[in-house]
Amino acid sequence: MTSSDDTHQLLDDIVRRERGWLISSLVSKLGPSKVDLAEDVAQDAIVKALATWPFKGVPDNPRAWLRRVAGNVAIDRIRRSAREFGVDEDWDWGTSETDVITPSLSDPELDLMVLCCDPSIDPQDQLFLALKTVCGLTAAETASLFFMTEDALSQRLSRAKRKLKAQSGDLARFPTRCALSARLPQLLKVIYLMFAWGYLPRRGDDLFRDDICREAVRLSEGLLRKIDGETAGHHALHALLLFQMSRLPARRADDGRLLTLEEQDRNLWDRDMIAAGFEHLQAATASAALTRYHLEAGIASMHAEARSWGETNWPAITRFYELLHAKVPSLAVLVNWAVSLLISDDLDAARDKLDAASKRPGAEALPAYHLARAQLAMRMGDDEAAQAAIAAARACQVSAPVAAYIDRELSLSA
Amino acid sequence: MAKFVLMLPHAPDRYQNLGEAEFMDLMKDYIGWVEDMTAKGKFEGGEKLMDEGGKIVTNTSGTIEVHDGPFAEVAEILGGYMVINAEDYDEAVEIARSHPHMKHNETIIIRQTDASADE
Repeated sequence: MTSSDDTHQLLDDIVRRERGWLISSLVSKLGPSKVDLAEDVAQDAIVKALATWPFKGVPDNPRAWLRRVAGNVAIDRIRRSAREFGVDEDWDWGTSETDVITPSLSDPELDLMVLCCDPSIDPQDQLFLALKTVCGLTAAETASLFFMTEDALSQRLSRAKRKLKAQSGDLARFPTRCALSARLPQLLKVIYLMFAWGYLPRRGDDLFRDDICREAVRLSEGLLRKIDGETAGHHALHALLLFQMSRLPARRADDGRLLTLEEQDRNLWDRDMIAAGFEHLQAATASAALTRYHLEAGIASMHAEARSWGETNWPAITRFYELLHAKVPSLAVLVNWAVSLLISDDLDAARDKLDAASKRPGAEALPAYHLARAQLAMRMGDDEAAQAAIAAARACQVSAPVAAYIDRELSLSA
Repeated sequence: MAKFVLMLPHAPDRYQNLGEAEFMDLMKDYIGWVEDMTAKGKFEGGEKLMDEGGKIVTNTSGTIEVHDGPFAEVAEILGGYMVINAEDYDEAVEIARSHPHMKHNETIIIRQTDASADE
């Protein structure tokens, strides 16, 4: 990695993290109906900062610098329109410095997430809004997470923001504790999706974005601390995030290429994180209901405890996928179920699952589906079909390192 | 080691109507370059100039007149400048070649500072 690559990554991290922080802080000051304004102010501030750094270099504490500039931009803009918003001109921006010193979760971010999950908004749109405003995913990233076009996404985002405005009005504040608990399952979903993007982005140069993963874990932790009664599945979700996160360092080879679970050096897995994951998994058994997170964490725990690929408890994993599919009959679950059957040498069952998957909408766009097809074809000795399936995977939208991985598979199978 | 000023002009509408991602990418190139040059001890500093055209003060006929710049006919406005360290013009030109400004814009003007009266 050159220092210029480092700089790119640093800027991505800072901009993504600060955008969410700035928007959340502004909304907590200005009120729920001002999400649009908050987004504009954050955007102005970031652009302003990025336009000056080329001539100065990155300041020693970029985060503090950016927040100071952002604070000035915000105050300036708000002063200009103080009458319009009825905001006190001298409002206090002062919390930013303390947050720089202790970069713990700040409440405004969770509060904005709660706000985005307003029940008057379409549940799907709630997710878009939260991922775009709080989690700092770009419009392009959010769109490809849901296999949508950016135009379609932005239409739904504006619809959601209109609803939010109509719903909250100027005087509305955050929901009562009781109303809040109804939104918690949706908050877990936001955190889950955010982590999923960080773990395997569908576009860009990064194999994974550990800043986004870390942030999802931090939001989840903050929520666990803040909410007294446990939300069904939250401990399980937290366990899942920790298990997945523990493997990140092992997923990338020195040359940047993707290493599959089978190829990974398991000594690089973060054992402390795995231990913490098992603690949360234990706590999850007290949950009021069995959620998808329980089953997914169960699968992840099977990998976490296996000392090698060969010692993995595949029958248990297959069983988990079966239960998971009964609960969440999604395409991705079906494909993963098929893969676990393939590894357990149950080729006929695997083929049945993949045939069923092929009839689902979205299968063509899912690289994992094609790669599973390729694996099946190879096991059946049909090299030509395997080649075709890998080529189809290559045609899907993937990040650059995943594309490189598929290319390697393609050349190996040729 | 001599000091050279790199002046970085751009078309007046260069950064208008750029998408967010595109702008980010441009700026990342610039910032990355500055970081590299700083690490090599080549970068001394710089300033971004405000986007509005500034003022032009003239004294053509004994009276001082103040105009808002830039004049309408200019093809480029000065976006900012940087000061770099180089042995000579050859090295300064080499450094300018590697500058992301040459990828994203058209012109860099290089001038050596006159240090002959300095200690």
